[in-house]
Amino acid sequence: MAARTRLPLLLSRNLPLYKHHKQAHTEASVKEPAYPPIVPSLTAKSKSARRRQAEEQIKKICASTVEEKLSLITRVQWMKFVVYPQTFARNADRWYQHFTKTAYIPGLPDKFSLDERGSEQTTVQTTVPGIGDEAFADIRSLVTNVILQERWYTKKRKTFLFRAQEQTFGPLLRNLVAGLTHSLAKYNPQLLLCSLDFDPQVHFYWRRGQRIIPKGHRKGRQEPTRFQIDDCPHSQIRIPQQLKQFTPLEDSYAAEVPEVTYAPNLLPLFRRQYDNNIFTGSKLPDPARYGHTQFHLVPDRYHRDRMERLKQSDQVEVFLRANGIASLFAWTGAQAMYQGFWDREDVTRPFVSQAVITDGKYFSFFCYQLNTVALSVEADSDNPRKNLIWGTESLKLYDGVEDGKVVGLNDGVLKLLVQFLLNQP
Amino acid sequence: MAAPLLSLKMSAAAVKGFYPHGAPCNLLPRRCFGVSGRMSAKSAHERPKPRERVEIPGLEMITYDKRMHYVPGLAKPVYKRWERDYKDPRFYVSPPVREMPLYKEKPCYIFNQRTSALEGVRQALWLTKSKLISGLPPQLLSLANGCTNQILDQHERVQNAIKHARFWDTTEERPGKKKYSNKLLYNLLHLCATLQSHHPGLGRRIFAEKYSLAATWSRGQDLFQIRGQNCILHNCMDPLPELSGNQEVADTENYVLETFYPVSPTIDLQKVQVYQEEMYSTGFAVDYVYPHPHTLYFLEGVDDDCKLQPEQFRAKMLMFTFGNALACAHKLYGTQSQQILDRPIIVQAVGTNGRIFQFLVFQLNTTKLAEDDGIKNQVWLEEDIQLYDFAKVRPLIKKKEIMVPAGLSGYKPETFNKFLAFYIHGAV
Repeated sequence: MAARTRLPLLLSRNLPLYKHHKQAHTEASVKEPAYPPIVPSLTAKSKSARRRQAEEQIKKICASTVEEKLSLITRVQWMKFVVYPQTFARNADRWYQHFTKTAYIPGLPDKFSLDERGSEQTTVQTTVPGIGDEAFADIRSLVTNVILQERWYTKKRKTFLFRAQEQTFGPLLRNLVAGLTHSLAKYNPQLLLCSLDFDPQVHFYWRRGQRIIPKGHRKGRQEPTRFQIDDCPHSQIRIPQQLKQFTPLEDSYAAEVPEVTYAPNLLPLFRRQYDNNIFTGSKLPDPARYGHTQFHLVPDRYHRDRMERLKQSDQVEVFLRANGIASLFAWTGAQAMYQGFWDREDVTRPFVSQAVITDGKYFSFFCYQLNTVALSVEADSDNPRKNLIWGTESLKLYDGVEDGKVVGLNDGVLKLLVQFLLNQP
Repeated sequence: MAAPLLSLKMSAAAVKGFYPHGAPCNLLPRRCFGVSGRMSAKSAHERPKPRERVEIPGLEMITYDKRMHYVPGLAKPVYKRWERDYKDPRFYVSPPVREMPLYKEKPCYIFNQRTSALEGVRQALWLTKSKLISGLPPQLLSLANGCTNQILDQHERVQNAIKHARFWDTTEERPGKKKYSNKLLYNLLHLCATLQSHHPGLGRRIFAEKYSLAATWSRGQDLFQIRGQNCILHNCMDPLPELSGNQEVADTENYVLETFYPVSPTIDLQKVQVYQEEMYSTGFAVDYVYPHPHTLYFLEGVDDDCKLQPEQFRAKMLMFTFGNALACAHKLYGTQSQQILDRPIIVQAVGTNGRIFQFLVFQLNTTKLAEDDGIKNQVWLEEDIQLYDFAKVRPLIKKKEIMVPAGLSGYKPETFNKFLAFYIHGAV
């Protein structure tokens, strides 16, 4: 009874009256109906809703400032593989190339190639482009004094077990880096503005590859594999301007990166859960935000002589290469992230940094060019860009110290060191 | 008469009746089972004293040695102490002090990097026989006034160096004191060293860490030594120029050293009787290329095991500066004490805790330190200068009012100018 009476009353509200109808036809022909796009729900318990949530998150990260970006990317802690740049794992360099999508190119970039030829024939070439003979002689005497100070002049007692590198060559390298930087500042104006940092921290966190969770309540779902590098170089030079690229970005398309199909825990790598950090050695407001050169010291545990004793001489170069790849990727990647580039917003210009890894006697030189930070599975599909690393085998700086003299100081290596520090934007 | 006696007997019988197993031990009420002996403040259970060994000459003691187990009634055998025929550093027992080859009757008082001298700078002045002049010498002051804008963007870059040390260096919110003081010192030194392109003399220097210093001198009747590893030493190829002229040095003869009578000058110094008598070492070989100590940089609070008060820290700075100068003098002029050095030796020192700086200049005029009269050494000391007032990660708020804003506040460029003047002194 009640329903019947209600119907006519509602009629006036439900059916528009003729006076409203009058201009309706003319208006509709002019204006397109502005409906919101049909998108999946944001809150439903469905796969499409999950996808939508991920998209919203990406949009949110893209729209935010760099500081918020970093905090959004690193905020949620998950179990992640901890990559140690100085690792005991055998043949780690191939794996690290795969994790970081880095192609290894033996030798140095064209910029330094001239010098490498010089290092082979030290007697023929005596000048370093950029500095004169006198300046080079000064640098040579400086390096001699620095080596002799630690190896000859200072009275030292026997070092602690497995601390010899840290206690002898640590101070040596510190003096060497500071001395070279300050004496070359005349020729490279960037070094006047640089900040030289001893024992900095470098962190990088990224996702690459995925796996299907084998067991547990999330069984069967896909999970991205996460990596974290916590590096502590011996010293690093940071500058306020970016270094020039070694090669154009497109050259990296042809480079080949070794593919490792095994799970990373077979390297072995181990998973831990703690704060995700992305850090170049200084926080965002620091004006010296681009990398120039890093110096690493090989610890006693991986020293050439010990490896030989353990009959692992083949791993000496592999270790250095792995160290170069991991440390430089972490540092250069963090620099790119500080400029606001991340997985979904790939770099628009290549980032470049250099590293020298030494055990006090042998020096290996590495140059890294970061072409892409889009490494996760979603971003990496048909992305032809690859990161590039150039590296030398280890080169001997001097043969030894006898009677207060440095025997066999190799000018070629020294020149290469000078060339590295003279690199400027 | 009989009745009281009887009653006594009765009472004894009654007592016996109450305690069938004899009278209670008087230890019994003190036993607490709930807590251990130490917590209930009970004295430890007394062990029976070992029985006195009686040696009767002419009688052989019968032991249970042959039986190889304890037998009541037989004496415990005494064995010779077993000496191992190999060397094991874990079980090394040093001989008694008096039997050591380096033992001397005369004690030596040693000052090391962990010595906290009670009287502070006053004591150090007495030990080094020096005259204190507060404030910096005029040469350094004029140098400091001249270096207002030597480095490119000096003002901004020094502040960046401070901010890097205090805020930017770590992924944490703020770095610890030990870390930031070290970082700040290295940042400032790097800033100063970028001047090398203007002053090529700065290239003739090198840093040394962990060198071991040793210097010996006698003061009054006592023998003193300064030993230890600490601080970063800036070595130079050329000596620093003199700071005070011959007349001023001669005037110090009239100066009377301050005493602190009831307190002994050797207080808090380590007294040893096993020592090497003639210890002179700068920590480096004789043919060292950088033989002249230029500046010592001290960090406060780096050593966890020893925290020094500011006064004691300054005393340590003075003592080590003196020690370096003395070792250098011994190397240059021989170990004989001289009334007046041909060319005084100048060593500078800078101490910091990451915010407050101490500047000290030492001029060694004489190595004849035994007597109180004669030429004295000179010390210029400028203490407790702040490089900045506050470096706060979060603002300091009191009664809803911001007292100190977040970030670096109250930067004082004069302090850095002094630091820079110390650095470039001798190279300009």
